[in-house]
Amino acid sequence: MTMLDDDRLSALLGQAAEAFEVPAAGPDEIRARARGDGAGGDGADEAPATESGEDEEPVAFRAPGRGRRLVATANRHRILSVAAGLVVALLVAGTIGAVVRARPTPTVTAGLKAPNVAGSGGRALLPVTSTTSPLHAPAATGAPGPLGFEAQGTSGSAGGSTAAGAAPNSPSLPKDSVGQSTKIEQTGTLGLAVARGDLARTMTRLTSLAGAYGGFVASSASQGGSGGAAPYGTITLEVPVDNFSTVLKQAEQYGKTSNVSTKATDVTGQYVDLQARLAALEASRQQYLTILAKATSIGDILSVQEQLDNIQSQIEQLQGQLQVLTSETSYSTLNLTVSERGAPPRPSPLPESGLVQSWHDSVGGFVAGIDGVIRLAGPFLFALLCLAIVAVGGRLLWRRYQRHRL
Amino acid sequence: MVDAELADWLEEGYVPSFRTACLILGNRADAEDAVQEAFLRAWRFRDSLTSVPSIRPWLYRVVVNSCYSKLRQEIPHRDRRAVDGPLAHLPAEEPGPETSAERGAVADTVLAALGRLPLSLRVPVVLRYYADLSERDIAHAIGRRQGTVKSRLHEARRRLAADPELHALALAGGDAETPAEEAGS
Repeated sequence: MTMLDDDRLSALLGQAAEAFEVPAAGPDEIRARARGDGAGGDGADEAPATESGEDEEPVAFRAPGRGRRLVATANRHRILSVAAGLVVALLVAGTIGAVVRARPTPTVTAGLKAPNVAGSGGRALLPVTSTTSPLHAPAATGAPGPLGFEAQGTSGSAGGSTAAGAAPNSPSLPKDSVGQSTKIEQTGTLGLAVARGDLARTMTRLTSLAGAYGGFVASSASQGGSGGAAPYGTITLEVPVDNFSTVLKQAEQYGKTSNVSTKATDVTGQYVDLQARLAALEASRQQYLTILAKATSIGDILSVQEQLDNIQSQIEQLQGQLQVLTSETSYSTLNLTVSERGAPPRPSPLPESGLVQSWHDSVGGFVAGIDGVIRLAGPFLFALLCLAIVAVGGRLLWRRYQRHRL
Repeated sequence: MVDAELADWLEEGYVPSFRTACLILGNRADAEDAVQEAFLRAWRFRDSLTSVPSIRPWLYRVVVNSCYSKLRQEIPHRDRRAVDGPLAHLPAEEPGPETSAERGAVADTVLAALGRLPLSLRVPVVLRYYADLSERDIAHAIGRRQGTVKSRLHEARRRLAADPELHALALAGGDAETPAEEAGS
C-alpha cells in the first residue's frame, strides 16, 4: 500500500461522498414526520405531537402495538414466519388428532375392575377371541306350526317373549337379566425380555404365578435357539378377572417389558340378549309341552315333538354360548411372549460369495437404506421443527434486544 | 423544544450521515430513505441516549442498521442500478465542467471499488475513512469487537489497494485533498 495510504483513501472517499447532492428537503421531511404532520408520515409509528408547553414532554412517537410489531417482523422474515406457521399448524393438528383419537377408544387400561361372576367355575379351554357366534332366531317361536290351533296358541306367547327380552311381563326372564351387572371381557399381551438362559425359569415362574392367583396356563410353547436364533417362548395365562392387573404387574417384574397392552370389552348387552333368548325358548318349550299333553292323534304328537326337538336344540346352543361368555368374563386372558436378550445373531444360511448372495446383499442394503431414511426422517423433521422454533424465537428476541439497545 | 433538539441533531449529523449512507448503499435515493428512517428511529428511542457514552457512534449505528435493513429487505427485490446508477449523484457545489467531470469519474471509481467490497468490509471502511470514527466507535456502531474491526479494516485496505482502477486513480490523482485539507482551505 504505497500509493493508497490512509490519507489518500480518506480523500478519495470524501471526494466520492461529496459527489452526492444532499437533499435540501431531507431535514424538513424528517422534522415533519417527527411532528406527525409530515406528508410522507405513515402514521403507524407516529402520534401527533403535543407541544403544548415547554415543560411538557412531547411524545412524538408512540411505541407500535405488539400486534403491529409482530406483523412487521413476520413481513421481514417471511421464510421463518412460514416455518413458524407450519410448526403451529402441526402442533394444532397433532393436538386435535390426539383429542379425537383419545375420545372414542374402546380400549380400557389395565386394572379395570370386573365384577365377580358367581357360579363360573369349571371354565372350559375355549378360544378367547370375542367372535360373536351367529345367534339363530328361534324360528319355532313365531313360526306357524303344522296345527292351526297350535300355531295360534304359540304365536302369542312366543312373539311376546321374543320381543323381548325387554317385555316387562315376560314369562320367564331370569332374575338377573334386568339390572344385569356389567360383564367385562378382558385380555392383555405382554412382551418380556429376560437374560440369556432365563427363558425356562421365567416360563416356570409364570406358570406358578397363574396358579398362585387362581388361574391356569391355557397354552405354552417355547423354541430354543436353534440355528443361532434367539430362544423365545409364548404362554397364555387365564386368571380371574379380579387378579388380572395383579398378575400383569407381577409378570412385568420378571424381565424387561418390551410391550404391554390390555383391552377390555363390555359384553353385557350380548350376555343379556342371550339370557332373554334362552328364556323365550324355555317358555316356548313349556307351551309345546302343554300342547303335547293335550294332543290325541299320532300326527299331532309327532308334529309337536318335532317342534320341541328344534327348540331344545336352540336352547342348548344358547346355553353353550352363555357358558362361554360367562367363562370369558370370569377369567381374563394374558398372552405373554418371553424372549432372551443378547442372543447371538442368526448366521446366514447362504454362502458368503456368489451372484445370488451379492444380489441378496444388494437388495437387503437397499431396503435397509430406505428403512434407515424413513427411520431418520421422523427425528430429523422433529429436530428441524425444534430448530425452527428456536431460530424464530431467538431471532425475535435478538431483534427485540437490539431494538432496546438502540 | 423538540424542534430545537431535533434541529441540532439534523444540523450536526444529517449531511455526514447521508453521505455515509450513500457510500454504503451506492445509491442516493436509498440513502435518503435510510437516513430519514434512521433519524426517525433514533428520535423514537432517544430516551435510551442516557445509557450511551456518545451520541455520534450511536447515531452512526442507527444509520448503519438502517442501511442494513435497506439492503436486506428492499434493495434485493429490485435492480438498483436501473433506478439510480453512478450518474445519479450530482455535485453539491457548482464547480466548472472539467472539475465536475473529474469528480464524477473519481466518485464512480471509488463507488465501484467500494461496491466490490463485501458489506462487512465496506461499512468499516466508510465509517473509518469518511466518517472518521475511531476503531472503538466503529466497533460500537457495527456491534462487533474492536479486534474484528481492526482485521476488517486491514482486509478492506488490502483489497482496495489491490483494486486496479482505484490504484490507477491513486497514481493519477495527485490533486485530491483530504477532508481535513478541504476544511482548512
